[in-house]
Amino acid sequence: MTATVTGTADDVRTAVPAPVPARRRRQWRHRGAEAGWAYLLIAPTGLGLAVFYLWPVLQTGYFSFTEWGPFGGHEWIGLDNYRTLLADEEVLQALGNTLLFALLGLLGIPVAIVFAALLNRPRLRGVSVYRALFFLPVVTMPVAVAMVWRWLYNGDFGLVNYVLSLIGVEGPHWIADPATALYALVAVCIWASLGYNIVVFLAGLQAIPREYYEAAEIDGAGPVAQFRRVTLPLLSPSLFFVSVLSVIGSLQLFDLVYVMAGSGQAARANPAMPRIQTVVGLFYDKAFYTNDRGYAAAIVMALLVLIVVFTAIQFRLQKRWVHYG
Amino acid sequence: MWKAVRVGAAAVLAAALAVSAAGCGGEEPAASDEKVTLSYAVWDKNQVPVMEELAAAFTKDHPNITINVQLTPWADYWTKLRAAVTGGAAPDVFWMNGPNIQLYADNGVIMPLSDKVDQAKLDLTVYPKALVDLYTFEGKVYGLPKDMDTVGVWYNKELFDAAGVKYPADGWTWADFKTAAAKLSNPAKGVYAVGANLAGQEYYYNTIYQAGGNVISADGKKSGYDDPATIEGLRFWTDLIKNKQSPDLKTMTDTVPLQLFESGKLAMYWGGSWNVSEFSKNEYTKTRVDAAPLPTGVKQATIIHGLANVVSAKTKSPAQAWEFVKFLGSKPAAEILGKKGPIPAYTGTQDAWLAANAQFKGKIFLDAVSYAVPYPVSRNTAAWNDEEFKQLTKAYTGEVDVEAAAKELAAQMNALLAKE
Amino acid sequence: MADRRRMTGTHLTLLLGATVMVIPFVWQLLTSLKTLTSATRVPPTLAPDWRWSNYTAVFELLPFGDQFLNTALIAAARTAGQLLFCSMAAYAFARLRFPGRGLIFGLFLSVLMVPPPLFVIPQYEIMADLGWLNTLAAVIVPGLFSAFGVFLLRQFFLGLPKELDEAARLDGAGPLRIYWSVMLPLAKPGLLALGILTVLASWNDLFWPLIVNTDPEKMTLSAGLASLQGQFQTDYPVLMAGSLLASLPVIVLFTVMQRHFIQGIAFSGNKG
Repeated sequence: MTATVTGTADDVRTAVPAPVPARRRRQWRHRGAEAGWAYLLIAPTGLGLAVFYLWPVLQTGYFSFTEWGPFGGHEWIGLDNYRTLLADEEVLQALGNTLLFALLGLLGIPVAIVFAALLNRPRLRGVSVYRALFFLPVVTMPVAVAMVWRWLYNGDFGLVNYVLSLIGVEGPHWIADPATALYALVAVCIWASLGYNIVVFLAGLQAIPREYYEAAEIDGAGPVAQFRRVTLPLLSPSLFFVSVLSVIGSLQLFDLVYVMAGSGQAARANPAMPRIQTVVGLFYDKAFYTNDRGYAAAIVMALLVLIVVFTAIQFRLQKRWVHYG
Repeated sequence: MWKAVRVGAAAVLAAALAVSAAGCGGEEPAASDEKVTLSYAVWDKNQVPVMEELAAAFTKDHPNITINVQLTPWADYWTKLRAAVTGGAAPDVFWMNGPNIQLYADNGVIMPLSDKVDQAKLDLTVYPKALVDLYTFEGKVYGLPKDMDTVGVWYNKELFDAAGVKYPADGWTWADFKTAAAKLSNPAKGVYAVGANLAGQEYYYNTIYQAGGNVISADGKKSGYDDPATIEGLRFWTDLIKNKQSPDLKTMTDTVPLQLFESGKLAMYWGGSWNVSEFSKNEYTKTRVDAAPLPTGVKQATIIHGLANVVSAKTKSPAQAWEFVKFLGSKPAAEILGKKGPIPAYTGTQDAWLAANAQFKGKIFLDAVSYAVPYPVSRNTAAWNDEEFKQLTKAYTGEVDVEAAAKELAAQMNALLAKE
Repeated sequence: MADRRRMTGTHLTLLLGATVMVIPFVWQLLTSLKTLTSATRVPPTLAPDWRWSNYTAVFELLPFGDQFLNTALIAAARTAGQLLFCSMAAYAFARLRFPGRGLIFGLFLSVLMVPPPLFVIPQYEIMADLGWLNTLAAVIVPGLFSAFGVFLLRQFFLGLPKELDEAARLDGAGPLRIYWSVMLPLAKPGLLALGILTVLASWNDLFWPLIVNTDPEKMTLSAGLASLQGQFQTDYPVLMAGSLLASLPVIVLFTVMQRHFIQGIAFSGNKG
């Protein structure tokens, strides 16, 4: 649900094709017994996923065709929710915002690669200290991160604007100004996930054999050419992993906006809210604040479509640029 | 088994009574009274001790009825209450407010109390009429008023002194307010006269009625936002922002007016009688601020609101629940409440509250009752409250002229009211 | 020489980056010790007023001890459950043959594609039906099962040499014995990675706990902290004190186990 990827690392696992198990040389005497054990071992997670995840998805799908009364009970209203949704400015705006979050969030990737490359320099001292400092925001509770940044961004008393004032710039009310709020939030997302991305890239870089660079050097390739011809292709699986994760994380952004822009009445009085409300934020508001659960279900079904489409696009493109060594 | 024991005990008791009856005459044993526990849902943590004190006082007189006070914080109170009602597990007695009463009454979630009020010959004129009306739906009373609050101006004496402005006093007018606002504001220093918060109850509802306008028609069927007087009431605030006598919405999103006031950046804060507890605790405000009545526009007005105790329609012990609500609405209960809580709704019991908060001019909140206007509500208040935020945000930021925003709001609100 | 200069440049860039990462935390600490009046001074001052009462204010408003305990219990239970259940299923998928393996695994994977908001309305209804709203069980139980965990560990098991369990099999060990005494001990790095990710995700999770537990005594720290903002609005010194307290335990854990954290993350990002 957040920019820090830990919560959503789940989603990207599908990204990686599963290796085919090798032939088996030997079987247990009774195949039936083997299958029995397998079902038994799978049962807890299988049942848990079925009850708490798979069945609920179907139910949410069903709810998206219903309208809920103020005190429970719901009735079938066919496609009405979807019809309303397609004409609902609030929903369309939230979808647009969410897409923008996803796209702009990718800007964090080059930054992470630069720092990872610097950290990967041979004979660099203090790598673990740097790495730990960059990683600090990743382990910090997103709610806390959001609160701190809300304070840093304060238009009148915030540190950000004070620093800007030292160089003669008068900063805006970052998260209350419709013109800046979204970018300010994207910056926090990037800041918060930078350490994670650096660690993934650093591991990817360390896996590249030195000889490749030496060979490239013999071929007369300069640092830029080396980066393009050796680093990028060999880093592409990590790059793919991080970008899929980043997009999926951004599409589900909730915590940061919930805390930084406020929720309930506070959000309603924030002039920038229409520009930063996310799909999941809107879903939460409809489902658990105004109690319009049927409509909330329709909104989140739209999100599912968005995620499936985006992931499909990324996988399609993957074939063109990702090299599995 | 249990029944047998009870029958046995009753027999012993009857025998004992028969023996003693000769001596002391016929007091009837309350054998029909079963032991019940009533759940009582409230949302204010600060009031839990006094609610428990009231519950204990009630149980003392009704030994067979125990009260279980359940706290649900405000942020989740309505969500959870709805879930409980849906699941058939609503509390027997619970707090109700203005924006929600009609929704609950209309859906048959709470019990009409009119018949019981008549039977018990209760006099409802002991409560402010505005509050009794607030909890009356389609001619029936659904709740007995518990407490009340009105709105006043909290002001920072230090900032008034520094600007050489006289403290606000009884009878001051919009013109006085605006003159003072101009003198008190110093945007360069980050000091403003007042924070034009985008909130109805403490802010624009008051000025709307002061300007002679209305938020919703008396029958609750038509929006008042297209009334020119209503628009004047809104312009009161948008002008303050425009003239930099109030911070803009962005500033107030970053730092809300309460905190601006508590750090000496606002000279005035429109707030309720409920703010006494906050301002008497806060180190900055406790010595620096005091309260004054709201300024008079075309007329004098303040929004009055108060909570009521209501009974769940599905309670298993309706008689006992009513007995408890009746007690909570009584004079002795009001006297207990006033010492530690908000202003009790029962007329003539408010001295304890005044005495408990003597450091402020609390009396202005009581005096305001005489000209108070009830909190505007309809059957689905929440729906058009959302619309108020949506349209008025644009007017407050200056994106849309206040008149255009108000008219759009009226149109949207009328459409919502038509659906109720 | 040029190399020396380049090294200095590298350090300067890294230092600049690290400063941007750390300053928010420093500012959080400094603000948490100021009064509201001094925190809102323009221009800001560095020196704190040593106002520890901001911290006591957090404790007065939040049952912080309860919430800390709730969060720790939830994280521990979810982690223990996932390590056990996920490794069981992962072993079955990686090493055992049974009809429907592809189909079941596909169903597991499909859960990964679905964003959490799609689960929560029905999950909330289930919890309400069970009478579990405002209990720790409501947060723990759905978190015991993880398709991600199964996938991660399955990848790990697939990467282990087959010879070991083949040998055990020849010795007559059944699937359960092999899982328990051969595979699990070998899978320690994978289990550690999953464990760290689960603790982190569980500690920091907001969405589901926020929905399902609204009673302050049953809340997690994340939700409690968010509710602090509902009460104190923009009283930043108190908010900074609260946010520091709530995030401190994991930061301390991270400092102590830094190497494992980073290996775990790197593992999840490159393995698989």
